[in-house]
Amino acid sequence: MNIAFYSTNEVFAGEEKLKQNDIACEIVPTPDKYCGVCIETEEEEAVSILEGMEFHIIRKGE
Amino acid sequence: MIYFDNAATTKVKPEEVYKAFEYYVREIGVSPGRGSYSLGISASRMLYQVRKKIGIFFGLENSTNVIFTKNSTEAINLFFHGFLKTGDHVVISCYEHNAVLRPLHYLKSIGMIDYSVIQRNDLELSPEELLEKYAKTNTKVLALTLASNLTGRIIYKSEIFEEAKKRNITTFLDASQGAGKMSLSMKNGQIDYLVFTGHKDLMGLPGTGGLCCRDKEEITPLLQGGTGIFGDAYMNPKVFPEGLEAGTLNMPAIWALGAAIDFCQQNRNEIYKKEKELTELLLEQLSTIKNIIIYDYGFDRLGVVGFNIDGCSSDEIVKYLDTWGICTRGGIHCAILAHEALKTVKTGAVRVSVSSFNAVDEVYEFIDILRRLGD
Repeated sequence: MNIAFYSTNEVFAGEEKLKQNDIACEIVPTPDKYCGVCIETEEEEAVSILEGMEFHIIRKGE
Repeated sequence: MIYFDNAATTKVKPEEVYKAFEYYVREIGVSPGRGSYSLGISASRMLYQVRKKIGIFFGLENSTNVIFTKNSTEAINLFFHGFLKTGDHVVISCYEHNAVLRPLHYLKSIGMIDYSVIQRNDLELSPEELLEKYAKTNTKVLALTLASNLTGRIIYKSEIFEEAKKRNITTFLDASQGAGKMSLSMKNGQIDYLVFTGHKDLMGLPGTGGLCCRDKEEITPLLQGGTGIFGDAYMNPKVFPEGLEAGTLNMPAIWALGAAIDFCQQNRNEIYKKEKELTELLLEQLSTIKNIIIYDYGFDRLGVVGFNIDGCSSDEIVKYLDTWGICTRGGIHCAILAHEALKTVKTGAVRVSVSSFNAVDEVYEFIDILRRLGD
């Protein structure tokens, strides 16, 4: 899944938070709404770790 | 050459700063927050890293609450133009730089706000007495400089900001002089907003500065333009910090500023010790010169000394020193309020400002040459 933000700053803050929690993720280009890069991860736990930040999940094909 | 104009810009930078700048220009070379190709992502990550580093350096709870500008003047204008509303009142000191005075005076001239200037003698009042005298029912902001750019006198006292907070007044610190030398923390909640510039005591390059915000309160952007996000909107998005950073950021200098901050952090004690030694020597030696007037002599200060010699204009002294390869600054120093307070508007003053890259021998040579002028 891709986790998209409106702020580039928040993307990197989110990535940092996930890596601190040993969640594998990387910054990739964002796939009718977001800033140009987003976080890509396969780990569902990422969603609860990022709680409190404003983000949106884009799944293949939320 | 002896460079004693470090309060304007520190001329000598740590080697790491030059290297960081060159690395960014040669190896990265693209803008952050724009392209989503790998190099663009690297640039954006580097911007995030420096933003966070600055936030931690100034003790921000949310370390990325830093808005980059091209200098402290822009950051000050961003704050005053973007935060103040019609009918607000601001309290400032008589030691504020024109970068604080002028935007406020402009806003006053268009009938939007009013401001009061704390007189020099009143800076010795207790915080309660001071704000009793200068604050009004509509006082929105207390804005103080960390230290005078003319005399080096330290103006900011945490107790004054503490008293302001009790009165629900927003506190604003202009740390253009002294950020990097003096330990400052926004953690205790007394400083709501702090402005810094990269090219002075932080020993970074020109073209960097910023506004540190304790909270993400709404500030109206100073510039409208490209932000790299919400490209389909006709105005800047209300997204912090990008919505307040329209236009391409000076990323090579921002990356170099990160290296400068590392240097300041790793060498803070040595920098402080060296500058204290140089400043004390400077004061001790200057006070032996005939007919000299040293301003704010007895006060705690940074490595900045303002003086005059009876019978000489400051411009004459500066010109004379320049013939000996010594760089100092005369005139008004963009600090008209301070010169009015010191009654030196007509003569100006000579300002000597040291950095930790200066040497003791340079102070003695400067004094020797200055003494010849008196003779």
